[in-house]
Amino acid sequence: MSDIVLDVKNLRVEFDTYGGIVKAVRGVSFSVPRGQTLAIVGESGCGKSVTVQAIMGLIPMPPGRITSGSAKLNGQEMLGLSPKEANQFRGVEIGMIFQDPMTSLNPTMTIGDQIAETLIVHRGYTKKASAKIAVDLLDKTKIPEAAKRARQYPFEFSGGMLQRSMIAMSLACNPTVLIADEPTTALDVTIQAEILELMLELKRTEGMSIILITHDLAVVARVADDVAVMYAGQIIESGSVDQIFYESAHPYTMGLKEAMPTNKPNEERKLMPISGSPPDLFHPPAGCGYFARCPHAMDICESNQPSGFRIAADHYASCWLHHELAPEVDALHLVGDQ
Amino acid sequence: MFKYTLKRLLAGVITVWFIATATFVAMHAVPGDPLLNDKAVTPEIRRNLEEKYGLDKPVFTQYLIYMGNMLQGDFGISFTQQNRRVNDIIRDHFPVSAMLGLLAIFFATAGGIVWGALTATYRNRAPDVVIMFLVILGISVPSFVFAALGQLLLVNINSWVGYSLIPVAGWGTIRHMLMPALVLGLGTMALLTRLMRSTMLDIVNADYIRTAKAKGLSPLRIFFRHQLRNAILPVVTILGPQIAAITTGGFVVELVFAIPGLGRYFVQAVQQLDYTVIMGTTVFYGAFLVLMVITVDIIYGYIDPRVQLE
Repeated sequence: MSDIVLDVKNLRVEFDTYGGIVKAVRGVSFSVPRGQTLAIVGESGCGKSVTVQAIMGLIPMPPGRITSGSAKLNGQEMLGLSPKEANQFRGVEIGMIFQDPMTSLNPTMTIGDQIAETLIVHRGYTKKASAKIAVDLLDKTKIPEAAKRARQYPFEFSGGMLQRSMIAMSLACNPTVLIADEPTTALDVTIQAEILELMLELKRTEGMSIILITHDLAVVARVADDVAVMYAGQIIESGSVDQIFYESAHPYTMGLKEAMPTNKPNEERKLMPISGSPPDLFHPPAGCGYFARCPHAMDICESNQPSGFRIAADHYASCWLHHELAPEVDALHLVGDQ
Repeated sequence: MFKYTLKRLLAGVITVWFIATATFVAMHAVPGDPLLNDKAVTPEIRRNLEEKYGLDKPVFTQYLIYMGNMLQGDFGISFTQQNRRVNDIIRDHFPVSAMLGLLAIFFATAGGIVWGALTATYRNRAPDVVIMFLVILGISVPSFVFAALGQLLLVNINSWVGYSLIPVAGWGTIRHMLMPALVLGLGTMALLTRLMRSTMLDIVNADYIRTAKAKGLSPLRIFFRHQLRNAILPVVTILGPQIAAITTGGFVVELVFAIPGLGRYFVQAVQQLDYTVIMGTTVFYGAFLVLMVITVDIIYGYIDPRVQLE
């Protein structure tokens, strides 16, 4: 399909550690349509950051290793490239922003210079021309007094402003995809809303696709078109944001929703944490990764990996409950309708 | 900025005054006096000499006289070298020590940054292991051993070439300075290498380096534009005291290479209790150290934008 910008297939990433080999990403596939936002959701350590860092070639190798898979950007393979080849698309076709804006910018370089650097390197602009565009970009990300701010250093900025600058920097070469790795986690809630708003607006005006990594379902509901839920290094459910929220098909997704606070104070509802902890990825389970914590676990789940069952158009869930021989589970639909 | 410099200089003057006073007290607390030489001095001659040098007056009066002279820039006359003014000793020999010291600092800084960056880049691989082994040697082996080895090396080189390509000792041309400066800077170079290595290793894993990679910058550009400048900051910090230590601590190296530097006078004066030379060289070196530290602090304000001088 031509409107798929980024297509990732069966990505597997391992890390050598003193304790053994950690299988951090175990066969992840997803695709990002042009101009859409894909949210990758999951708890800490489920492999969501590793997935995008592998695509960007940011995983230190060694100890990291991509054992299989492909990631095609507009049909071009991105995995296994030399740093020089990878730099053809890093910062050009794909921009990336990170979790902690306070430490993600060089403390001894002005904001303007750091934005201009991308243009000088990739577009061959002169220092003067790129500096001017840097100011325009800061303006675009709604930083007041952009010209003055461009000459300042990161320590003179607040967290929200730094994240805006990061966004401005990643936009410098008009990327087709913007990867945002927990962009609002380190910011307070009001700033968080502003940054998300800014990202949505830029998505519309610049026509780029966004991969948003987060563990915050409220953020997902707000900005995502499509959602991929990750657990223990695999995507266990994917679909449109409505499908994931209103027709959840995987017990883990339901569990996540149960554990999410609502902002309706008069509604009596208890937060239901998911008991237990994710499996040890030194020795990933043979069957479903969620088996040990799943309230609907069956015998088959322990030893057999569920494949993606098609629930509806573009809605998949890796759960045996959707096999034709599985019993009907009422709770599944009860929670799903909420 | 100007106000800051002025403030620091004022504090520096107080520091120097303190150094002078402490040295004066310590010097007079040492038993004996400069006239107790091996030559027999009759009580009469001794009285005359004491009168000449003002040693017959109470110590506190001597202190006041000395401080008064020092304020006018006069360090007095040496006790042991006939009629030689301390000012002249410093003027004649300090430039030699300073020249040697600056060259040593240049070697040490350049070497420390290059080796440190290299070890960090090749962490736990052959270049790292070899260099870090040499660094341990550089820190722990005293400089006179390196000085002797350096001379031996020069002798071999010169006899191989057939003429005195690099002089083994003495002073005068830049060729004379190379080996002693290298030997003198070796300890500091080793120290800076370790410092540079550890800061570089911190920075390699910094978030902003990941950002630079995500921007698609070449490894070389990342190294020079993003890593180096941040890694150099701690090196610059300790450079001030190191400059002073090298410039003043060259005594052994100066001796081995027969260099007419100030270090020799500094040490000899203490042995002979040459009051004025002790005071003069100590106060001068103290002032030099203070000045270097202030200079480095001011430079630091330019290198690190987060440091605000006020």
